[in-house]
Order: sequence, then C-alpha cells, then structure tokens
Amino acid sequence: MFTHTPLRLTTLALLAAGSLSYAYAAGFFGLEILAEIATLAILVIALDLVAGFGGMVSLCHGALLGVGAYVFTVAANDAGLTALPAMVLAVVLSSALAFAIGAVCARSTGIYFIMATLAFGQMAYSYVFQSPLFGGDDGLSGAPRPDLTAIGIDLTDSRAFAVYAILLVAFAYLVAARTLRSGLGRSLVGLHHNEKRLRALGLTVWRAKASAFAISGALAALAGCLAAQHTQYVSPGLLSWTVSGEALVVVILGGLGTLTGPIVGAILFVVLKHEISAITPYWHAIVGIILITVVMSRAKGVFGFIESRWDDRGAKTVAKEAEADA
Amino acid sequence: MLETRDLSKSFGPIQVTKGVSLKLQQGERRVILGPNGAGKTTLFNQLVGELRPDSGTIHLDGADVTSLGVADRARRGLSRSYQKNTLFDGLTIRENLGLATAVALGKGQGLWSDPLHAPEVRETVKEVAAQVDLAPYLEARVDAVSYGIRRQLEVGIALAARPKVILMDEPTSGVGPEMSKGFHRLLKALPRDLTILIIEHDMDLAFDVADTITVLNYGEVVFDGLPDAAKGSQLLKDIYLGAWEDA
Amino acid sequence: MTADLGFWVLQTLNALQLSMLLFLLSVGLTVIFGLMHFVNLAHGSLYAFGAYVAATLAGTFGYWGGLLVAPLAVAALGAVLYLTLIRSQRRAGPMAQVLITFGLIFVAVDATRLVWGDLPIGIAVPAILDSQIALLGVEYPAYRLFIIALGLCVLAALTLILTRTQIGAMIRAGVDNDQMAACLGINVERMFFLVFVVGCALAGLAGAVAAPVLSVTPDMGLQILIPTLIVIVIGGLGSLKGAVAGSLIFGFVQTFGAVLLPTLSSVLIYALLAAVLVTRPQGLLPAKG
Repeated sequence: MFTHTPLRLTTLALLAAGSLSYAYAAGFFGLEILAEIATLAILVIALDLVAGFGGMVSLCHGALLGVGAYVFTVAANDAGLTALPAMVLAVVLSSALAFAIGAVCARSTGIYFIMATLAFGQMAYSYVFQSPLFGGDDGLSGAPRPDLTAIGIDLTDSRAFAVYAILLVAFAYLVAARTLRSGLGRSLVGLHHNEKRLRALGLTVWRAKASAFAISGALAALAGCLAAQHTQYVSPGLLSWTVSGEALVVVILGGLGTLTGPIVGAILFVVLKHEISAITPYWHAIVGIILITVVMSRAKGVFGFIESRWDDRGAKTVAKEAEADA
Repeated sequence: MLETRDLSKSFGPIQVTKGVSLKLQQGERRVILGPNGAGKTTLFNQLVGELRPDSGTIHLDGADVTSLGVADRARRGLSRSYQKNTLFDGLTIRENLGLATAVALGKGQGLWSDPLHAPEVRETVKEVAAQVDLAPYLEARVDAVSYGIRRQLEVGIALAARPKVILMDEPTSGVGPEMSKGFHRLLKALPRDLTILIIEHDMDLAFDVADTITVLNYGEVVFDGLPDAAKGSQLLKDIYLGAWEDA
Repeated sequence: MTADLGFWVLQTLNALQLSMLLFLLSVGLTVIFGLMHFVNLAHGSLYAFGAYVAATLAGTFGYWGGLLVAPLAVAALGAVLYLTLIRSQRRAGPMAQVLITFGLIFVAVDATRLVWGDLPIGIAVPAILDSQIALLGVEYPAYRLFIIALGLCVLAALTLILTRTQIGAMIRAGVDNDQMAACLGINVERMFFLVFVVGCALAGLAGAVAAPVLSVTPDMGLQILIPTLIVIVIGGLGSLKGAVAGSLIFGFVQTFGAVLLPTLSSVLIYALLAAVLVTRPQGLLPAKG
C-alpha cells in the first residue's frame, strides 16, 4: 500500500527545493531542460500510478500525452479558447479516452494488456498522423502559454515558465498520491495482488481499472499540455509508442511503484540524455545498455535501491534492539 | 437464505454437479462432506458465480441470483473463502482486512477519503481480527506469518465483507489438529444469525459444528439431514469412509 | 477503377506480398512466444540486421549471396542473444522482457547507424527477376511474385516440419503444455535454442527479401515491429495457423483499405485489432484451446 515514508517526504522536499532554486539560478538552456524534465516527470507519475501500483503496464501513455497536446493546441488555435479552458478540455477528453481504453483492456492481463494498449496508442498515432485537422505529418504550431499577466506573471519568460512547470509536477504528484490513498487507489493495489478476490468481495473490476486509467490519462494529458506550451509545437511523434516505451524505461530506472522514484528517474534521464548526446550521437544505445543492466540485475531502480538500503538499515536497527531486549 | 434448485454442470462428458438442491435457513450451519472429486468446490464456484451452471437456479435471500456475476452476488451478502489461500500478498494483515472491508462497504471506487482510516472500516477490522484470532498479527506482512495464520486470514477476509451467507472451502486444510480445533471454537463463536456453509474433510470436526450435513458423491447429493442421522447412515459410511480410507 | 478485374488482381498480389513478408517475421516471433512465453520486441531489429547484411553483401557476392548469408548471420546473432540475455529472462515476466528487448532495440538502432550510417541503402533487384510478368491481364514485377512464392515455400516447409517430424511434434507438445514436454524427456533447452535461432533466421530472411523493395534504414526494424505484433495478436499468440491468418488479414486489410477507404485506412487495422481483443482476447486461432 502507498505510504509517505520519511525517506519519500524528505526526497520530495529536496527535489522541490532543489528544482526551485535551480529555476532561479539557471540560464536559458538550464530552464529549457527543467521544463523538459517537468513534462517527463508528469508523464511518468501518470504511468507509475497504473503500472507500478496497479500492474497495468501501458504502452499508450505517449498517445494519451499526444492527444492532450493536440486537443489543447486545436482548442486554443482553432476553437478560440484561452489557454486554461483549452487545458481543461484536453485533460477531460484524454481522460475519457483513457477510460474507454481501460474499460476495453480490463479483461486482458500481462502481455495481452501491453499489446492491447500498444494497439490503441498506435491507433491514435495513425489517426493524428494522417488527419488534416491535426496537420498530419507536419504537426501544428502556435500553442499558446497561459496568460497570467493579470496576476503579474509572464509565462513567455522561460524562468517563470520553468517555475510554472515545477508547480504542475507538484500538482500531478498530489493528484496521484491522493488517488493512491483513496478507495480507488487501495483497490488498484489490491487488484495488482489479487483481482479474483476483490471481485469476490464485490468490486466492479472493470470500472476500477478504467477509472484508474482515466486519472492516469488525465495526468498524461496535463504533461501533453505542458509539452505543447513549452515548445509551442506539436507533432505526431509525441503519440508514438516509443514515447510510452521511454516513459516505462524512466519509471523502471527511477523505481517502479514508488511515485517518487520516477521523478528522480525523469531528472536522470533528461540530464543523461543531454550529457551523453553532447559527447556521442548514440545516446540511445547507452540508455539501452543501462536499461538492460538494470532489469537483468533485478535492481529496483535508483530510488528503489536507496529505499531498500534504507529499509535494511531500519530492519537491522530493530533486530539489534530486539537482541538488546533479550 | 440460500437455496439451489436442480443445479447441474458438466465439463465436456463429465457431469460434475447433478441436480443439486439445497436449502439453508438463516443462521444454519451446514457442512458438506464428500470424497475428493465429489464436486464440492465446483458447487461453491457456482454458488458465488465464478462458474455458470448449465441448468437450475440459485436464490439468495429470496432473490434469483442465477444470472448475476460474482461481484453482484457479493454485494447481496454472499462471501466465500478459498481452499487455496487467496490473499493480498505483500500487504499487512491489517491492510488485507481493511481492503476487504472497504470494498465490501462499497468504498472501493471512492476518489477522495482513505477508506483504511474510515471509522467503520477500522471498527470492522478490529472485530474481524478478534473473531479469527488475528489481533496480535495485524501489523505483520502476509508473507511473514505462518501458514496457519494465513489460513485464518483467508476466512477473515471473507468475514470482513460482513456477509449474510459465508461459504468456507476447507478452512482448516493443511493445518494441524490442534489448530483445527481452535478454529472450530472460533467458528462456533460467530454470530448465530450468520448462515454458514462449510466444506470439511475431518468428519469429527464436521459433526462438532454442523446443524445439518450434506454429503456429495460424484456431483450428487446422497445424504441431506441431521448429523445424528448421518452418523448412523450406512450409505455415508460406505461412500465417504470408503473413499476416506483409500485417500 | 474498382470494376476492373486488373485492379483486383493487382491489389490481391500486393496484399499477398505484404502478407508473406509479415508471415516470415511473425511465425518466428509467435512460435517463440508460444513455446517459451518470451516476448521479443527486438525481432524487428533482427529483420533490419538481415536487410543490412544482404545489402552489404549484394555488392560483392551479388543478391543471391546476400540472401543466403543474411539468415545465417542473423541466426548467429540470435544464438548470441539467446545465450546472453534471453535464456535467463524466460521466466522474468512480460514487463522485464518488454524492457530488455526494448533496450535491445535502442542498442540495435544505434549500432546500425554506427556501422552503416543514417542514410538509406538501396539494393537492386537481381537481374533474373528484374522483369514484369503478365498475370491475369496485369503486368506484375517478377521479384514481388518471388516474395509470394518464397513465403508459400517457407509456410509449406514449416507445416511439414511441425506436422510430420519428431521435432515438430515436440514443439507442438511444448506449446500445448509446458510441463508435458519436459515429462516426455525432451531436451527442452536444446529445443528452445533451436526454435529461437530458426525464428531469427526467418526474420533475417524476411529482411534480405524486403531489402530491394523497401529502403534499408536504421528504423526499418521499428517500423515493421508494430505490424508484426498486430499479426500475432490477431492470429493468436503461439500458433502457426494464427500467424498465417493474421498475416493475411493484415495484408489484405492494409492493402485494400489504402485504396478503397483511404481516409480510414490507417485506423482500420487498429480498430480490427481492438475488436479482436475485446471479443476474443486470446486471438482468432489461439495455440491452446
């Protein structure tokens, strides 16, 4: 069951403080990287919610992100909505799509679930790729950033935008953490462990799975809106299954099922990407090798590793105390 | 409270349930006996909806539930435990009972408050823990406790649903005789208005808790009546004890 | 246009050609899954490797030399992969397998870029097949007919092996029931190795055959992966018949969709897949009853 351990709370506090101070100190390039990390962090929080806690390994989260980004851009450019209502619309529509996908895939488990989500993701990708409404292959540009000048904030400034992006990550984290501590979140973890028993206790399993998927899809769409606002350009590549695959990689590298770990993973992934690609154009190969090593060694990712070391220490202390008592 | 009429089920050429008719009054404790392969667990699976019968009907508390799914029947007050432990591994015993209670109370889809901290859930967890003697182990993880404790939790999860009718599939299978006796003491202390249907292998223990006895053989009810009559029944001795000694 | 017989013949041949290519790829992947429960997302990368080997050798040894060596080279690579990565991950569960082979894709794409560069490589159709053949009133490239014929030959050979030989019976037993194969005293390890390597060789063959028709690029493995996965999920994981049915369905839906319903064509196959998953989550012709 999901809990806020002292280690997790400390890590989150450090991450918040660190990223905000970095946002004040960093130059333009650093701020761009910060916004990129924030986008990925929201996506992997969304994915960890269903994959890490619910065991629903999805390969359509890139598509949910992309649908969010596209709906936002079209709503703002063509439907005349301002940025905030356009974001709400994007999140709601993407969430509805995720609910439908979750409901349809609820009967599938294991590799079939992975394949089924992959199929739906690719379906969205193909549709966007060839649809004139969405600009096809060329993508769409001109997604606006929210206008907060009324409260004295100019989001076209990259420093302000980076802070805004960090706040969105915090919001996404709070939504995910709240969900995991709700009845639905408790059921979700239970479903991962024993679906049959929960059904025998009276849970409507498909609805629980679809609802969890919908919340996850809403967060993925939020990441999509942030991506669209950041680069002010959306392309079908956002929906590609490799985006989902990379998100899964980040979740694993950070620590599956910890919610905090994937955020750490997102930072490492983006920083590594920029560092390695400055040296060699073959950074994907390096990431691939790291991924294979992590999975084959059965490691639980960076944060998972720290947590298990921490727990060991705790267990040893308890054991020592017990010995001392005896 | 729970009634079946002419329930039948085949797997291919093999008929596993043959025209089974049962009638349980509220508060009745009925034990199902029968050799291995008599179709006891298959009958349970049909009662809770995990298997669809080929023909016949199932009534729960006066309503026909034959066409309802597992979750719907559970919400109407039917609960079961499994012969093979079906727990939430990796969680603590408190979390296991809390999750079961929360879901049974219809809090399993809630989006806001934490049901594990809801007063009625905590209260039920406490009561059930007392009923199945798990109070000292609440904070232990399921994979860290002994098999016997896990067996008690298996029944505890079914009880946490606060059912009207509970089906227990060999609740003491695999535990020692001392623990079995202890479990039957717990069983007798359960509220008298709870209707209980138990599959039990141990005849002596069965007669200890049973108000009524049903004997299944090859999917058919071959005896249905009071324990005393069952004890004297030559039929039961032939079928059941014969198979028992073989096994 | 659609009233013309020639149109139907032409599109049918196009569909068959695509189906056969997909069959060569999916049959290995699906039998590997059925037997070992291993999901190899890098199967497309093996196909790309086959195409590159064929394209490279075509310059020195001619097309036929490439076609012969490519499957062997890919089989050798498959053997190395099996011994280093795959064997130990057979029981690791789908997520670990998906991630490891996803990592392999990353490595494979960059490795091909490193060796062969980013630009597409062209390879000429062999002279003997570089002609048009008249068939039912249409002129059709001989090379594409060769692809169809080769696919049918492989299908016939595999059917014979699986139904008529002892090793085939063992493989079928293994797909039907994991424990049974071991109980029959079959050397399971050796059988897995053999099936994996043959599956890789077929992927390499597909790559070599496709090289003159498609352009050989680093991401060709990624592009073919999704269609291959769709084929085996529609057909039913683990079954030869499923791979045949899935390939034909994909080939025909894709080809005729593109000409008859161009606006819907790209979504059509995914919608079909979704429908299959909803109504028959195990695929149309699953390996196990």
